Amino acid sequence: MTAPASPLTITVEQPRLDAMAAAPFRATLDPLLVDQPDRILLDLTPVGFIDSTGLGVLVSMLKRMGPGGRVAVVGAAPGVRRLFELTRLDSLFRLCDSEDEARAILA
Amino acid sequence: MPSSPDARHEPTPPGELVVPADLASVRALAEHLRQACSRAGIDDMALFELELALVEAANNIVEHGYVGQDAGSITLAIAIESGRVHLTLTDTGSPVPPAFFANTALPEGHATSGRGAAIIHGCTDEVAYESRDGVNRLVLTKGG
Repeated sequence: MTAPASPLTITVEQPRLDAMAAAPFRATLDPLLVDQPDRILLDLTPVGFIDSTGLGVLVSMLKRMGPGGRVAVVGAAPGVRRLFELTRLDSLFRLCDSEDEARAILA
Repeated sequence: MPSSPDARHEPTPPGELVVPADLASVRALAEHLRQACSRAGIDDMALFELELALVEAANNIVEHGYVGQDAGSITLAIAIESGRVHLTLTDTGSPVPPAFFANTALPEGHATSGRGAAIIHGCTDEVAYESRDGVNRLVLTKGG
């Protein structure tokens, strides 16, 4: 029996994932999504602010993973978490309190 | 003391910032808001929500209001009284369609855009918009 591969970990390095940062961020994501990973551990620790354009890039990432794609988010600051909840995208992105929790969800 | 070359212009009122309508300047508006709220002791979550509402509204002006026109400007006025924050955004671009601020519904989950108005409403207590004589004015109010 083969153990499942680890999820792909992506750390968003932009402190502001806003409309200005969206295009360069999308460009850094593109090569990571070529192989259509089915699970991503998304680390938002460096991110202090996201707007709806930045959020749209994350939704686009999820769509490119295909119907079985799952994303667990770690390191979401309170405001960033609030945005996911306000837009109800916390139903598509699992917001986790720790990396262990995220890895368990993605196992 | 010699007068400034700009003395013939009306001074910008305190608390008001005028910037070019571009995405880099939206960041300047956000920084201006953070400084004003920090001085007034507005709490972190309220500030985040105000910043989010402001950025969504300003992005909208940059990306839709001035499309097809010469570059314009955005004016932000901030008034804070007893913890209640009023943000007034003024521009002279194309007005927002009447339905925009009335529709607060979120798009379906996998949509990559269309959440701006819902976010603005969700992050503030009052949203007032008018377009008159070529000037658009959006007032966002929160707290207090």
